[in-house]
Amino acid sequence: MIRITEPAWQVMVDHAQRQYPNECCGAMLGVVRPETVDGEPSTVKEIARAVPLENAYQGAQEDRYEIRPMDLLKTEREAREAGLELIGIYHSHPDCDAYFSKTDLENSCPWYSFVVLSIKSGVFDHANSFLPNAEQTHAEPERLLSPATRPV
Amino acid sequence: MAKVSIPTPLRQFTEQKDTVEFAGSTVGEVLGGLTTEFAGLRQHLFNDEGKLRSFVNVYLNDEDIRYLEKTDTAVKDGDTITIIPSIAGGR
Repeated sequence: MIRITEPAWQVMVDHAQRQYPNECCGAMLGVVRPETVDGEPSTVKEIARAVPLENAYQGAQEDRYEIRPMDLLKTEREAREAGLELIGIYHSHPDCDAYFSKTDLENSCPWYSFVVLSIKSGVFDHANSFLPNAEQTHAEPERLLSPATRPV
Repeated sequence: MAKVSIPTPLRQFTEQKDTVEFAGSTVGEVLGGLTTEFAGLRQHLFNDEGKLRSFVNVYLNDEDIRYLEKTDTAVKDGDTITIIPSIAGGR
């Protein structure tokens, strides 16, 4: 399960709305800890901070994003210095739903949670989180708790 | 010996170490030593054919080895090898 705190959530939504009609992308930093959820022992990824990153895709960014590896490395180093971990990646889908597309899957990495934010007519609509596999053939929905989400 | 910087999600396979050191004359040899010592890493870095997974980028001193000699890139004492995932997508 991934839980996004209000300050991180606000950064993500603001970033996604600001970049509309283009896709935005960024990193989610936080801690992973065991917790009891609905009476069951669970591992919770709590996102304390969101870091907007530049969409480095060379081309139309309405339907594509790319993160520079060195930007990700820098972010990971900063996370470590702050006592946090790089837990996930977020990006937006302008004017379409928050699903994990074929392009998302084929360019994913199984080491992180992927949160997709749907932005419709410039305004946040809903979000979902996914866990892609190493073969980049399937992404499992991940339970997402945020200040405003529909259940996965 | 070359230093290898391990991304956070993979540190569970390296006894939580963020940097480990291995000998080798090429990047491939160093990564071979790494995945022999920490066997759990292998499936995360390499596919069943023994090739680096498509989302795994390897940098030698901040240079992408794809633009050098790939895993045959020569390594010197004190070099740093960094593993960074490649991430992109779109609706």
